[in-house]
Amino acid sequence: MGRLLIGACAVAALLLAGAGNAYELDLSVDLRAVNSNATDSRLEGGLGKLRYDATDDGLRLGYLRVGYRVDLTQTLRLTAEAAAYGDHDVNPIDLNELYAEWRPIPSSDWRSRLKVGAFYPEISLENRMRGWRSPYTLSFSAINTWVGEELRTIGAEYSLELLGRSRGHAFDLTFNAAAFGWNDTAGTVLASRGWGLHDRQSSLFGRFANGGQPLSANTLFYDDLDKRAGYYVGATANYRGLLEARLLHYDNRAKLGPDNPTIGDDPWDTFFESLGLRWTPTTDWTLITQWLHGRTYDDIGLPTNAWSFNSEFLLASWKHGPMRYAARYDRFTSQQTASNFIQYIGFYLGDDGHAWTLAGERALSEHWTAVLEGIQVDSSVAQRVFTGELPYQRERQLQLAIRYDK
Amino acid sequence: MDSRGAFLATCVTACTVLAVTGPVYAASALSVTVLSAAGTPVQDAIIIAEPQKGSPPPRTGLKDVMDQRNLMFVPGAMVVQTGTAVDFPNSDQVHHQVYSFSPAKTFQLALYAGKAHAPVVFDKPGLVTLGCNIHDSMLGYIYVTDSPWFGRTGADGTLQLRDLVPGEYTLRVWHALLDESGPELQAHLNLAEGATGVANFRLSRPLRPPSLNHGADKKWEDY
Repeated sequence: MGRLLIGACAVAALLLAGAGNAYELDLSVDLRAVNSNATDSRLEGGLGKLRYDATDDGLRLGYLRVGYRVDLTQTLRLTAEAAAYGDHDVNPIDLNELYAEWRPIPSSDWRSRLKVGAFYPEISLENRMRGWRSPYTLSFSAINTWVGEELRTIGAEYSLELLGRSRGHAFDLTFNAAAFGWNDTAGTVLASRGWGLHDRQSSLFGRFANGGQPLSANTLFYDDLDKRAGYYVGATANYRGLLEARLLHYDNRAKLGPDNPTIGDDPWDTFFESLGLRWTPTTDWTLITQWLHGRTYDDIGLPTNAWSFNSEFLLASWKHGPMRYAARYDRFTSQQTASNFIQYIGFYLGDDGHAWTLAGERALSEHWTAVLEGIQVDSSVAQRVFTGELPYQRERQLQLAIRYDK
Repeated sequence: MDSRGAFLATCVTACTVLAVTGPVYAASALSVTVLSAAGTPVQDAIIIAEPQKGSPPPRTGLKDVMDQRNLMFVPGAMVVQTGTAVDFPNSDQVHHQVYSFSPAKTFQLALYAGKAHAPVVFDKPGLVTLGCNIHDSMLGYIYVTDSPWFGRTGADGTLQLRDLVPGEYTLRVWHALLDESGPELQAHLNLAEGATGVANFRLSRPLRPPSLNHGADKKWEDY
């Protein structure tokens, strides 16, 4: 509750600070009709890959989100993103992002930016709607599902941009670097449950996978266990607004140590590389691909528990009048490579799978949108033997969302 | 430019010179057509006719408007005479912060909605690139020229200019999506009194595809 209070105070301060300044307040409500045959959802403590399992059929709250942006000065903007998911997290509504961005007006073709607070690293080329939502599908790719589950920059990010297009060149280039704390548990969900495909982002003051926990305790996001900062460095190149490439190297530099009883987990040293490409050959077509490869370690005794994880996806989207169609293919693996349990259980943990996602969106009016999405995930998860399930499962989920954005 | 491009450019220049230096040219009007590399009309090409003996002193009280609508500058590119006061109304629901760091005009308009700022006077010739510090995808252009004779081509790729003073002219073509800067983009001609000069330009490379913009959909915000 203390953390929520801090968040509430921060928002109140933000609102007061912004009084009288130019601001934007926007609201989204997403209601869903769900039909699923999936195994117990990872969000309810299971090893299912999807947000909704066979017990969730019916009407559900996809999310309710509130976004607030205020220009405190000519070059300083505060952003707050809050969301409720109706799934019994510890706070009924919570912050997903809260940060200040300093963006000086360019006086040459180089521009600096500084972000301070809690925000997403620049990694996704798929999540490009306010609130870090995807305009293409309801469920994010496996890569960006994981980013939404476990990553947030709580610290500072500096960006240096070359505004080449303002000079008549073909490219804009952005380089960024960040130092952050409070992300020492990143990797724990991936190691314990493998990859998932959904749009439930973790909240700054919430818990995640808030059900029974076959392998790991509920993780309290986000916390700093080792007082050691992590970092990432990245670059984005934009070719005439048509082709965008994005590279990120991330390392939370967590110092391995014992379980923290308050957090319910120990630090996970997690690092990865991600490369993404987005091509928009015409105003109607968008193609996105992203690849991520990383490793994570924790230290529950010796030998160290080690994991390697990989995922990639290819997404195609076609817009036609009020309709937008999207198809995405995801592949993912997480593999334990060293284990302190191996002598007891005789095998390494991990998952291996792929998924097809098809979505159709229709703009009903300026504020209303309907989205129909079907997803099928085939996966083999070694951990399923602990829950009495067969390691291989085919899960299917159909969602019809009605969304209001204002 | 590759050898094919150079060859095309040479042909184009030759054609242009043939077209504009023949005995039919004369007088106080001008018809300029711009064709793409594929031979189709190029719309919204900016044409400037610069008198070689110098432009007449600019008229006073020149005004123009560069609107901002659906997170775009409207028009995306315009041409004005030196000394023109350009208004930058914001017709969007969100605030904009317009700036330029181009040598021909460096300025910034503090965050605003509606019509909050006095017009900006463009007092030096040259190309001014506009941006919005809030919305990076917004790019606009103002081509500032000393000449009073200019305009944009229509859907047929043609611009008609009237009331030109007879004499030697340099014609220049510019387009926001040009992917070339060769000699094919300018031509010289001599306008005799009482006749209409004709000039045809043919680009040697295709125009770049336009940048994409999500328009007024404020739900989009790249992360």
